[in-house]
Amino acid sequence: MSPETAINVDHVGMVFTLDDGTELTAVRDVDIKIGKGEFVALLGPSGCGKSTILRLVAALEEASFGRVTIEGQDPAELSRAHRLGVAFQDHALLPWLTVKDNVALPYKVAGKKVDTTRVKELLELVGLGKFAGARPSQLSGGMRQRVSIARALVLRPDVLLLDEPFGALDAVTRRHMNVELQRIWAEDEVTTLLVTHSVEEALFLADRVLVMTGRPGTVAMEMKIPFARPRDPSIQRTPEFHAMADKLTLALEPEA
Amino acid sequence: MTGFATRARGFLAKYWGVIGVLLLWQGWVWAKDLNAIVMPQPLDVVRDLVTNPGIYLSNAALTLTLAALGLVMGMALGTAIAVLAWTSRLLSGILIPLGLIFSSVPVVALIPILARLLGYDVKTVLAIVVIISFFPAFVFTSAGLRALPPGSEDLFRVFGSSPWQRFIRLVLPSAVPSWMIALRLSAPPAVLSAMVAEFLMGTSGLGYMFRQSAADFQTDRAFGTSVVATAISVLCFTLATLAEKRVNARWS
Ligand SMILES: Nc1ncnc2c1ncn2[C@@H]1O[C@H](COP(=O)(O)OP(=O)(O)OP(=O)(O)O)[C@@H](O)[C@H]1O
Ligand SMILES: [Mg+2]
Repeated sequence: MSPETAINVDHVGMVFTLDDGTELTAVRDVDIKIGKGEFVALLGPSGCGKSTILRLVAALEEASFGRVTIEGQDPAELSRAHRLGVAFQDHALLPWLTVKDNVALPYKVAGKKVDTTRVKELLELVGLGKFAGARPSQLSGGMRQRVSIARALVLRPDVLLLDEPFGALDAVTRRHMNVELQRIWAEDEVTTLLVTHSVEEALFLADRVLVMTGRPGTVAMEMKIPFARPRDPSIQRTPEFHAMADKLTLALEPEA
Repeated sequence: MTGFATRARGFLAKYWGVIGVLLLWQGWVWAKDLNAIVMPQPLDVVRDLVTNPGIYLSNAALTLTLAALGLVMGMALGTAIAVLAWTSRLLSGILIPLGLIFSSVPVVALIPILARLLGYDVKTVLAIVVIISFFPAFVFTSAGLRALPPGSEDLFRVFGSSPWQRFIRLVLPSAVPSWMIALRLSAPPAVLSAMVAEFLMGTSGLGYMFRQSAADFQTDRAFGTSVVATAISVLCFTLATLAEKRVNARWS
């Protein structure tokens, strides 16, 4: 999309050594370039290595082969500069902090003054304005995920990584959250990598969709999404949308 | 009236054991016509408690102060050493096994040694309480500092946390529930060991009061001291348990 490459996953392979000493190749020869300000969605069956790719980009894992760079640098530089936002698959909220303190945590960790209006705004955006003073244990799974999205966004990061952020939501709330996420994203067009199981979600949000398959996983297909932004939820009922959804679904289950 | 009746019934249902023992005791003393020096009547004990509250209160306050001071110092020391051990694998490799070994040494056995080192006075009593409270704080805090919530380490790395921020915002708070267990485990023994130490070599406090009154054949006062001591121990335990529950509700 944009000529400038922000995230470069350069022919990356990842081999885990399991406890019994055997080696497990999680992903093989994955080559992904994400432009600055681009929104890329990563689709794929469970266990194909989507979270592994995300963790490599977040500098939480070292690639066994190839190399990951962000703006030409080691990805750890980005987190060190507090410019990375991540929402993990399992929310990872701190149980002793209230919802609003969890969202404000990145400010404190970065040694910055907490912008309480920003925290409040984001909580409103993810529909949890009334739960600012609640504790994570008092929320449902889907609500916790939404808190972790707000936390990922709070510092206005330059790179946003979302690992199945809406996995625990019902279809209606999910569609609503997709619209909200698009709006937040459009505010600063942050470079985003979204892992999801939902073909519709990928199509609605992304500029480009990648399909990973196999074990070890690798990128099997790439699709540019042409819809103009801002996208109205009604595009999900257009014939083009359905045609693309069918194509992606087919790519996800090649044997069928 | 009915409210009083149900409350009385609730009281009976809860404490019938204690009441039964008291009644048996009183009945036994009457039936056997025992000398008050051998076995005082519960009524005498109560009378002494009610007529001389000052002496009980002042000694209880002394013992409690000593126990609380020792508890705070011991737990602070245990926590500090646990943090020290946490900072380096080498230190924890040395300190944690040492802590476990020493925590199984019976403290009563230490009393004569400490007394010879520190003198037969309040310093030794305090030292014993400190030692008693040190080990649970050390062992449990050590474990707690390593019990981080799932995913939280990744989180702090991703947000570019400095080691110091990670320590104060993640590691220390993670240890709080374990620390509360240490507090609950240490509070009653702190009171008890303060009293034992006072009994053996103190010059004041409940333990000393017990020994003096027993030596003076004031058996009712000796029993009264035991009653006060038991009440204090139960109170400390209850308070520590309540505090632990509240913390757990917040940390779950
Ligand atoms: N730390 C690890 N140690 C060993 N094996 C791992 C580790 N992390 C991931 N794997 C393996 O790598 C493979 C890919 O895992 P990954 O979590 O990336 O899948 P995923 O595509 O995110 O799946 P899901 O959609 O279920 O979240 C799996 O076979 C998994 O067992
Ligand atoms: Mg995953």
